Amino acid sequence: MKVRAIARNTFSALLRNKLIILFCAGFACVVLLMLTPMLMMKSMAKTLSAGQTEGMVLSMVTGVMTLVSGFGSLLAIWASADSVTSEIKSGTVLAVMARPVRRWEFLLGKFLGVQMLMAIYVIAMLALSYLLVWLGGQQLRSSPLLMIIYPMIRYAVYSALAILLVTVMHPVVAFGCGLIVAVLASMVSPAAGHSVFPEAIRTALYVVLPSTGLLSEERFLSLTQTTLKDTPLTEHLIALGYGLDYALVCFLLAVLLFRKRALARE
Amino acid sequence: MPPPVIEFRQVSKVFHSRFSEEYVAALTGVSFEVAPGEVCAFLGPNGAGKTTSISILMGFLLPDSGEVRVFDYAPGDVRAKSQIGFLPENFAFYKYLTGPQLLRFHMRLAGMSLQDADRRIAELLAMVRLNGYEKLKIGKYSRGMVQRLGIAQALLAGPQLLVLDEPTSGLDPAGRHEVLDWIAALRDQGKTVFLSSHILPEVEHICDRVVIIDRGRLLRIGSLQEMLRTGDQVEIVTDRLPDDVAVLTGCGATTAPVEHGVRIVAEAAHKREIAEMLWTAGCDVISINPVKSSLEDLFLKTVGGAQ
Repeated sequence: MKVRAIARNTFSALLRNKLIILFCAGFACVVLLMLTPMLMMKSMAKTLSAGQTEGMVLSMVTGVMTLVSGFGSLLAIWASADSVTSEIKSGTVLAVMARPVRRWEFLLGKFLGVQMLMAIYVIAMLALSYLLVWLGGQQLRSSPLLMIIYPMIRYAVYSALAILLVTVMHPVVAFGCGLIVAVLASMVSPAAGHSVFPEAIRTALYVVLPSTGLLSEERFLSLTQTTLKDTPLTEHLIALGYGLDYALVCFLLAVLLFRKRALARE
Repeated sequence: MPPPVIEFRQVSKVFHSRFSEEYVAALTGVSFEVAPGEVCAFLGPNGAGKTTSISILMGFLLPDSGEVRVFDYAPGDVRAKSQIGFLPENFAFYKYLTGPQLLRFHMRLAGMSLQDADRRIAELLAMVRLNGYEKLKIGKYSRGMVQRLGIAQALLAGPQLLVLDEPTSGLDPAGRHEVLDWIAALRDQGKTVFLSSHILPEVEHICDRVVIIDRGRLLRIGSLQEMLRTGDQVEIVTDRLPDDVAVLTGCGATTAPVEHGVRIVAEAAHKREIAEMLWTAGCDVISINPVKSSLEDLFLKTVGGAQ
């Protein structure tokens, strides 16, 4: 009940967070602008073959979704870092922690509150992808479940990582570090192709950083059903298990570091 | 003798600057105890270490050395916290919630049943005179209203120990009186109250015990009665002074007019001699009492003496 109360309160606070509202509104405008080529695609459909249209729609949807998905990662990092530190900075944490609430329960409540926000974001993201494909005159055949679970796990990893970072550093620095991790992780992923790093460093970074390539739902973004059928269940389980494992390790480390964190101003 | 509710044993805390070698000793070897059922005033000038001590007591900060026990548990232990009602200095709330929503949130955190929540919340809001503002967001509250809501949340779970950091700050005189009456009522119910305050004349009326600290060091501790009694002086109030005041001058007594006569302050050893002289001269001796200083005098002497 305590964790749920903190999670719900965190979610309410995030929905009212002016910075998050501002960024989401700005981002929504960018996405709306990106719908224009999709509308043009519909009119061009008559001059192209079915395969060409399908390919172009898929690449456009993938492009938009990469942007939306990347923004989601930033949102998860910022929301997590801010939700913990804003309570400490404003002093609201004192009344909460004066109650019989353990520190890990507080962190878990914060983490789950951010996941509630991200769940809404992911559902909106899924709706957007269906809208984009529909505007392109196609039909999305990817499994909605995978399109929800994969980004949720990826955002859980970034949330846990941000909570871990913010226990030891300023939220802006934590956000910066999270951003660097997100960019590096995408650069060292095997899916990224040629890497700017020497192979040994790339491998080391790939092992240490969260594998966002593996946790990318874009792998399953498909206008046909073949890709889905080709992916065995074990692959899904390994990828999702890896993500959950990474998030859990980050969260446990955050709990460990948060035990001695000063909650009152020194 | 029952075990103390709060126990500080040689507690020290040093704050280090993150980017330089500078450090501030916030607490140095502070030791004191608060017994069950006591109202203990924790006094000290600004920067004395009161809020640091309270933060350590609540488990928000860790001491560098020494030990703190609350209900014989370590600070921050949920078994101790479930018996504490806490009002921080400059209480911060979630501005988007209303008073009842905040109290309901705290009921959930306290693990209380929500079955009778509406009645309990209405009772508390009426007690702190916030009834009628149920739909108002806390962000729109005045400073005094926020403080009253803070007191309501501190009393929410029927705590055995109340830790109040400046409970009357931001309140008008009537509000301050109400808070002091609540504290007195809690003492009558056998609850323990540990409060810090700057308004000493108010604290003087309700506290049993005083802990004075300054610059992180414990200066004085004891019962209020003992501390305020000077012991070696008496105050004699008479309707008038005799024509011959040679005895008074000889005793080194001082006189000052009061509302219904004259106040004579002299060494306790001369009390009988002066009283007999007044009676012989036909004066009416209204009262003879040991001289008591005020808590404010005591505080200023203690803190001033230490500096």
